Amino acid sequence: MTPAPAAARPPAPPETTGLRERIAGLEAASRATLNILEDFDEEKGKSRQLQRATLNLLEDFAEERRKLQQVQKATVNLLEDMSYERAKLGEAQRALLNILDDVEVERARAERAKALTEAANKELEAFSYSVSHDLRAPLRAISGFVEAVVEDYSPRLDDEGRRYLGLVKENAHKMGQLIDDLLAFSRLGRMEIARTRVDLEELAKEVFEELAALAPGRKLRFSALPVPAALADKALLRQVLVNLLANAVKFTKHRDEAVIEFGCLRGDGGCAYYVGDNGVGFDMQYAGKLFGVFQRLHDVSEFEGTGVGLALACRIVTRHGGRIWAEGKVSEGAKFYFTLP
Amino acid sequence: MNKCGIEIMIVEDNPSDAELVLRVFRKHHLADCCVVLKDGVEALDFLFPESAPGEPAARRLPKVVFLDLKLPRVDGFEVLRRIKSEESTKNIPVVILTSSNQERDIKEAYDLGANSFVSKPIKAEEFNQAVAELTAYWLKLNRLPGQ
Repeated sequence: MTPAPAAARPPAPPETTGLRERIAGLEAASRATLNILEDFDEEKGKSRQLQRATLNLLEDFAEERRKLQQVQKATVNLLEDMSYERAKLGEAQRALLNILDDVEVERARAERAKALTEAANKELEAFSYSVSHDLRAPLRAISGFVEAVVEDYSPRLDDEGRRYLGLVKENAHKMGQLIDDLLAFSRLGRMEIARTRVDLEELAKEVFEELAALAPGRKLRFSALPVPAALADKALLRQVLVNLLANAVKFTKHRDEAVIEFGCLRGDGGCAYYVGDNGVGFDMQYAGKLFGVFQRLHDVSEFEGTGVGLALACRIVTRHGGRIWAEGKVSEGAKFYFTLP
Repeated sequence: MNKCGIEIMIVEDNPSDAELVLRVFRKHHLADCCVVLKDGVEALDFLFPESAPGEPAARRLPKVVFLDLKLPRVDGFEVLRRIKSEESTKNIPVVILTSSNQERDIKEAYDLGANSFVSKPIKAEEFNQAVAELTAYWLKLNRLPGQ
């Protein structure tokens, strides 16, 4: 492509051949120039490509820088977040420590309360112990010496004298029973409840049979319907059934045939067990008094008892977290319900 | 002493109770065979008399002890513990005759080796019957080693 140097400086030609030669030389020079121009173009293209590549590179670089900046920003954000989180963690830790402090305070308080309760229980126990021991002794003396008078001096007494002594004895005995019932009642408040699965239907039958054996002259019709088992203290529940069923037997004594039923009433909140009878019943306006200690709705000369039985039953049911209530109508019987959650 | 020796030892601080028990014994002609002690110290002095050096103690051991729990000075539990822990007295039957019907007293008495636990009935008829039956059982029916 490089033009021959000879073509650039042609020799002086003769007239015709010389002209032709000069034209050829010119043509060659022009081709060479074109060639040079072409080459130059090419170089320019290459240079442009180079420029573009450089620009591209610079663009890429800017992109990278942007990315790097983003990463940097993200890192800064992350660091900021981290310190925020750390602050939050610190707060949480402090809160936790406060809670632990509070728990400690509460525990100390609970322990104090427990100690106080225990002390109160001990005192109560000591009290009922001395009631049991010291109140009985004079009663035994009253009963014992009245008996001694009756045995040893009876011939010197008239009927009225003997009747009075009988009354003294009877009352001493009754007071003994009151003391026993009251002690049982106060013990109940402090007793631990040991819950097991109790088949109440079976228990009711068992209790009724024992009670029926104590009333040989009576005509008693008893039915125990199927009821769900309860999770309760069996010995205490037995006491509830003894009290309710004994009442049913007692307050039906004027009926030719006593009809007593144990069953349960199913409702929304589970079931309410009941003992129903066809006895003397009671006036519903006194229903609230039924479960008070020493409360009686009937004449003691007609229906014996100390008035503690239902209070005891109520206390047992309440200590199980249940409820006890009664429905009745004078001369038409009574129905006592209780729940055991 | 008397013709039957000391057969029954009663440890009872309440004079009324002691008299009611003695009344039953009189009816059964046993009043001469018993000794009544008013508290734990008297009971222990009776059972474990201080002997002069070189002289054996004059022991009068009963065939049965009726022991109340709540006693002045030394209580019934301590008397019971001493009786049951001494070789010479541990086989003497001890009947706890008390006003208490508390479960923990019953348990503690048996833990210490009581042979019987009876709550004194309030009703006179029951009280008299209990004393009569206990005496008949422990003095006539029950057998002790070496009898």
